[in-house]
Amino acid sequence: MNDNHNPTLSSIRKRSTHIAAAVFLSPALLFLVIFVLYPIINTFQLSTYNWSGISPTRTFIGLDNWRELMSDTIFWRAFQNNITLMVLSLVFQVPFALLLATILDAAGKRFNIFKVIWFLPLLMSTVAVGFLFRFVLDANFGLITFFSRLLGGGPIDLLGHPDRALFAVIGVVAWRFIPFYMVLYLAGYSSLPDELYEAAIIDGASQSQYFWRVALPLLTPVIRSGAILSIVGSLAFFDLTFVMTGGGPSHASELMATHMYRSTFLTMRMSYGATIAGAMFILITTIALITIKLLSRKEKQQL
Amino acid sequence: MSIAKVKRLLVWIPIFIFSLLWLVIAGAPFLFMALSTFKTQFEMLTGGVFALPQSFYLSNLVTVVTGGFWNYFLNSVIVVTISLFLLLMITSFAAYPLSRFKFKFRNTIFSTIVACMAIPIHVALIPIFVMMRNIGLFDSIWALIGPYIAFNLPISVFILTTFMGLIPREMEEAAEIDGCSKYRIFFTIMLPLSKPGLATLAIFNAINMWNEFVFAFVLTQSMGSRTLPLAIWEFQGQYTNHVPLMMTVLTLTAVPMIIAFIIGQDRLIKGMMVGAVKG
Amino acid sequence: MKKRILVLALALCMLFGILAACAPSGSDKTVIEFWHIQTTEPQVSIIERAVERFIEANPQYEVNIVTIMNDNYKERILIAMAANEVPDIFISWSGGPMIEYIEAGHIADITDLFNDSGLLNRYLEGGIAQATYNGRIWGVPTESVAVASVFYNKDIFANLGLSVPRTIGELEQVADTLVANDIIPFALANGPRWTGSFYYMYLATRYAGLEPFQNAVSGAGSFEHPSFEFAGDRIIDWVNRGFFAPGFNGNDEDAGQSRQLMYSEQAAMHVMGNWFVGQMMGENEAFIDKVGVFAFPAYENSNAHPDIAIGTAGDNFYHVSSTASSKEGAFNLIMQLLDDQAVQERVDSGMIPPVRGVQPELPLTRDVMAIIQRAPEVQLWYDQFLPPEVAQVHLSTSQALFGLQTTPQQANAEMQAAMVAYRNR
Repeated sequence: MNDNHNPTLSSIRKRSTHIAAAVFLSPALLFLVIFVLYPIINTFQLSTYNWSGISPTRTFIGLDNWRELMSDTIFWRAFQNNITLMVLSLVFQVPFALLLATILDAAGKRFNIFKVIWFLPLLMSTVAVGFLFRFVLDANFGLITFFSRLLGGGPIDLLGHPDRALFAVIGVVAWRFIPFYMVLYLAGYSSLPDELYEAAIIDGASQSQYFWRVALPLLTPVIRSGAILSIVGSLAFFDLTFVMTGGGPSHASELMATHMYRSTFLTMRMSYGATIAGAMFILITTIALITIKLLSRKEKQQL
Repeated sequence: MSIAKVKRLLVWIPIFIFSLLWLVIAGAPFLFMALSTFKTQFEMLTGGVFALPQSFYLSNLVTVVTGGFWNYFLNSVIVVTISLFLLLMITSFAAYPLSRFKFKFRNTIFSTIVACMAIPIHVALIPIFVMMRNIGLFDSIWALIGPYIAFNLPISVFILTTFMGLIPREMEEAAEIDGCSKYRIFFTIMLPLSKPGLATLAIFNAINMWNEFVFAFVLTQSMGSRTLPLAIWEFQGQYTNHVPLMMTVLTLTAVPMIIAFIIGQDRLIKGMMVGAVKG
Repeated sequence: MKKRILVLALALCMLFGILAACAPSGSDKTVIEFWHIQTTEPQVSIIERAVERFIEANPQYEVNIVTIMNDNYKERILIAMAANEVPDIFISWSGGPMIEYIEAGHIADITDLFNDSGLLNRYLEGGIAQATYNGRIWGVPTESVAVASVFYNKDIFANLGLSVPRTIGELEQVADTLVANDIIPFALANGPRWTGSFYYMYLATRYAGLEPFQNAVSGAGSFEHPSFEFAGDRIIDWVNRGFFAPGFNGNDEDAGQSRQLMYSEQAAMHVMGNWFVGQMMGENEAFIDKVGVFAFPAYENSNAHPDIAIGTAGDNFYHVSSTASSKEGAFNLIMQLLDDQAVQERVDSGMIPPVRGVQPELPLTRDVMAIIQRAPEVQLWYDQFLPPEVAQVHLSTSQALFGLQTTPQQANAEMQAAMVAYRNR
C-alpha cells in the first residue's frame, strides 16, 4: 500500500483533534483576549510613559520607570512580604485544609454542620473580615488582649507593630482561605469512586490505611493544584491587606499589589503603577510556571 | 466494648474536640457580624464589638430592607446567575481539551491561562471602563458579565482541568472505540462525571461574583444598576461609619450564599460516580 | 440540546438588555451629572432638597446625582479623568490634587461666573482663598468648615484637678499626670496616618508659624528645617512617655477605635476635627456634655502666632468640569447647595457651612467656631495641600515617627527629596 499519498489514520485523527481543541477552547480564549490580554498589553505600553493618569498629555520615557522600580525599596520590601505570605500560606493553609477535608470525608453526613460552619469565613466580604479582625486584634479592646490579660499579661499590639503586622495579616488570610482549599480537597475526595473504598475495606484495609495508601496518592493532582493556586494567590494578594493595614505601619505589611494601587490611584503616578503591575505579572508568571514544571517533573518521576 | 470500638473512640474524641475548636474560630466572627445587626451605634462603641446585643433592636434591619436593598439584591442575582452559567459552560468547554487531548499548543495555552491569573485586576479597570463606554454598556449590569467571566476563567479552567484529569480514561476510550465523536463524549461522559468539580467551581465563583466590588464600582453608576456589595456605601460616610447598619447589610448579603451552599453542598458528597461506572 | 436552547435564550436576553440600555432617553433637557461624596444622612437629603429647589427654579435642567463613598471616590474620579469622562460637577478637597486637576485642564475657571452672580461675599474669605489658584477661582467651598483642636473630657480633668493647658509644656504636664493616673492622654488611632499628622502639623506650626512649610513647598526653603525636627522630636518623646494607647499606630479611625477610648473614658484627650461633634451626635449624644475643647497650645519658646489653625474652610469644594455642557447651569446648582434653607438645615445638623453669619446651636460647636474665628490663618491639612506623591511620603514618614522607626532628620530628608523629585518631574 502506498501510505505516502493517502492520509494515515493517525494524521486524520490529529487534525480532527486540533479542530476539536480549537472549537472547545475558542470561547474561553475569546474572553481572555478581550478582557485580560488586551489590558496586559496596555499595561506594558503604559509603563514606558510618564503619565499621571489625569493629564491629557504624556511623555515617552522608555525604560525609566523600570529603572526606578529596580531601586524602589518599598517594592522589594513588598515582594519579600509576598514571599513570606506565600511560604507561610503553603506551609499552614494547604495541610490544615487537607486535614479538615479528610475529617469531613471520613465522618460523612454526621459532620454536615461542621462543613457549613467551617465554610463561613469564605462567605464574608472583605470589608466585614477587615473590620471584625481589626477589632479582634485591637490592642485595647480586642480578644487577643483579653486573653493576654486573663493570663496576667498586658495589652498586645499586633496591627500597629511593624514587626508583627504582616504576620497578623497572614493569620487572617489563613483563616479566610482555609475553607477554599478545604472545599477543593473535599471535591477531590468526591471524585474518587466509591468502589475504591469498598474494595479496600474488603481487602482488609483500615480506614486510615485507605486514606494514606489509596486516597491521598490519588488526590495528589488536586493537592498540587491547590499549592499552585496558593502560590499565585499569595503573590497577587490585595484585598484584605489593604482593608486591614493599608500596607502599614510604615510599609511593614506592604504587598506588591497595595504598592501598585497606591501608585496608580493615590499618588497620581498611573504609569508607575502600571510598571509595578507589569513587574508583578512577570514575577508571578515565572514563579508559577517554574513551580508547575517542577511539580510535573516530580509526577513523572513517581510514575 | 470491643477493642476496635475503643480504638475508634480514642481517635475520634480528639478529632471531635479539634473540630469544635475550629468551629468556634471559624464561626465566631460571623456570629459577631450577625449580632451587630441588633445593636445601636452607641452600643457598638461603648459596649464593645463582642458584647451581646442588649435587645432585639430591629431598626437596622428595617432601615436596610426598606432602602434600595431589594434593587441591589435583584441586580446581584441577575448578574451572578448569568455570569456563573456562562462561566461554567465556557470553563468546561476549555478544560476538556486541556485535560484530555494531546495537541501542539496545549502546554503554551495552559501556561498562558495560568499567567492570566497573575494580573492584578486594577490594571484592567481603565481599559475595560473605556471599552464599556465605547460600546454603550456602561452603567448597566450587563457590563459586568464580561469581566466577571473573564477574570474567573483562568482559575476555573485550572481547577476543572485538574478534576477532569482525575476521570479514568477507560470510559472515554470505550466510547471512542464505539465511534463517538469528541463532542458527544464531552456532553455525555465528561460533563456528568465532572459534577464535583463543577459544583466546587459553582460555589467558588458564585461567592466571588456575589461579593465582587471593584468592577461593580467602576462599571456602574446609577442606583438602578448597582449590585449588593455597593449597598454598604449608603452607610459609610466621609467621617462616620454607621457600623451596625454596615454589618446588617453584610449579614443580609451573606445569608443567600449560606442558603445556596447548604442546598448545593450535598453535591460534594461521594457517590456521584456510581452510576457512570455501572452504566 | 436543552443546554444549547438555554444558551441561545440567554444570549437573546443579553441582546435585549443591551438594546434597552442604549435606548435614547428622549428628553431635550440639559442633563447635569453631579457627583458628591456625602453618603450618609442628613447630608444626602439636604443636598437632594437643594437640587429639587434648583430644578423647580430652572426646569430646563435635569440633574443626575451620583453619590460615591469617600475612599472610592478618589479612584473613580481618577478613572473618569483618565478616560475623559468627567462629570459636570465633582468635588475635591482643594490643595495639591485640585491643582493637579486644574493643570490637567479638567476644571473650569468660575471667577467670572462668581463675580457676576453677586454671591461671592456670602462665602468665607478663607474658603474662597483655598479655592483660588494663580489668581483665579476654581471651586466653591460647600461642606463644613473643619479645624483640628483638642477635645477633652471635662470630668477627667476636673477629677484630677487639671486645667486647660495654654502651652505645650503645660500640655505635657497634663499628659504626665494622666499617665500617672492610668489614663491614656491622647486617643489617637493612627492606622490611616492622617490622624497622627494633626499632631505633627500643629507642633511644626507652633514652633515657627507657617512660613517654613510654605517655603519648603514653594522651593524657597526646605523640609530640613528646625520646625519639622521639633515636631519629630516631640512626637518621639511623647510616644516614649506613653502618651498614646497601645497599638495606636495600627488602629482604625473610621471604625471608631479612637472614639471607643474616649467613650470608655480610658483616654482623656482627642486631637480631631470638629466633625467629631457630629460623630458624637450619632454615636453617643450624652457624651457631648462631658466634652470641652481648646486650641492646640502655643509653644512657650516661640513667637509664632498661637492661634493659627490647621484645617479646611470648606472641606469638599465643588467644581465645574471644563467639559460641562452648561457651565452656568452647573455653577448655579452649586450656588443652590448653600442657599438660605440649606445653610439652616446644615447648621441644625451640627455642621458649620463656609458662609458668613453662621450661628451654631451647640455650645461645643460654638467653642470650635470661636477657635476658627480667632485664627489669623488656616493651613490646609498637609496631606491635602501637598502634591499627592509628596503627601504620601509625608503620611508615611509621620507614621514612621510615631512608630519610632525613623529619626526626624531622616524623615525630613525623605520629604525634601520627594518634594524636589516632584518639582523636577
